[in-house]
Amino acid sequence: MTHEVHKVVRESGGRRIIIADSATSVTEANKNDIVVDGSHCGANIASDYILPSGARGMIGNDAGIGLENAGIASLKILEEHGIPAAAVAAMSAEIGVGQSTYSDGVISTVNAVAKKMGVAVGMTTKEAANKMLAGVLKRRG
Amino acid sequence: MAGNITVIKKSGNRKIVVADSAAAMDERSKGDVFVDGSHCGVNVGEMTINSGMGAMIGNDAGMGKNDAGIVALKMCDERGIPAAAVAARSAKIGSGMSTYEQGKISVANETAKKMGVRVGMSAKEAADKMLQALAKS
Repeated sequence: MTHEVHKVVRESGGRRIIIADSATSVTEANKNDIVVDGSHCGANIASDYILPSGARGMIGNDAGIGLENAGIASLKILEEHGIPAAAVAAMSAEIGVGQSTYSDGVISTVNAVAKKMGVAVGMTTKEAANKMLAGVLKRRG
Repeated sequence: MAGNITVIKKSGNRKIVVADSAAAMDERSKGDVFVDGSHCGVNVGEMTINSGMGAMIGNDAGMGKNDAGIVALKMCDERGIPAAAVAARSAKIGSGMSTYEQGKISVANETAKKMGVRVGMSAKEAADKMLQALAKS
């Protein structure tokens, strides 16, 4: 667990889009948030940080995807929990830097839940995060 | 589990420690060789330096934009901390044990090279080189 002051980039209907350098800084305080972070999307990010926090969505870095697609393994895990998630291409944004994921990132991979909310490959992170926020707000009804 | 570390071996007062995330770096591993499943980005460089690790081996995360995936190696070099990364195609990012068991070194900083760490070496062998050098110091 690391400690960070997260930047809030948007807030609507009690839900937020926040930026973190590391997903390991995400806690229960982020249970209403779409988390945009600089971390890879490996399995541990979903099981150890995003799921326990109760966050509503996640966008991270695909880390070059790598051996056995490990760099995007958390997308599938989150999908099984109904959580929208996507990854940006490692060549589009600086891994480890949440602001770069948000400002420079281009989506390379999307899970089925995010897809249903309109998130698509090739989209900017900003647009993808906005789609997730809208989808999460609609879901709340 | 978040924060869990596994001690692989000891030499003198130094250890090789494995964790899924660099976020598990703390007092327990001070001065040790820390092998993790994280990328080697700028924030991991800060964690390695600020928590007083003896050495670090992580994942190169495909290197990526501006070589962001291996920036920590240079930062550690400036502090005299040996550091290396394994190729993202050789080990599963997010799994420290995969870095340790399967990882092949793709980049090593100058400090690590002086200890005998080489590109193409297994992470296990690289960690052993680092442990030997640190145990002597």
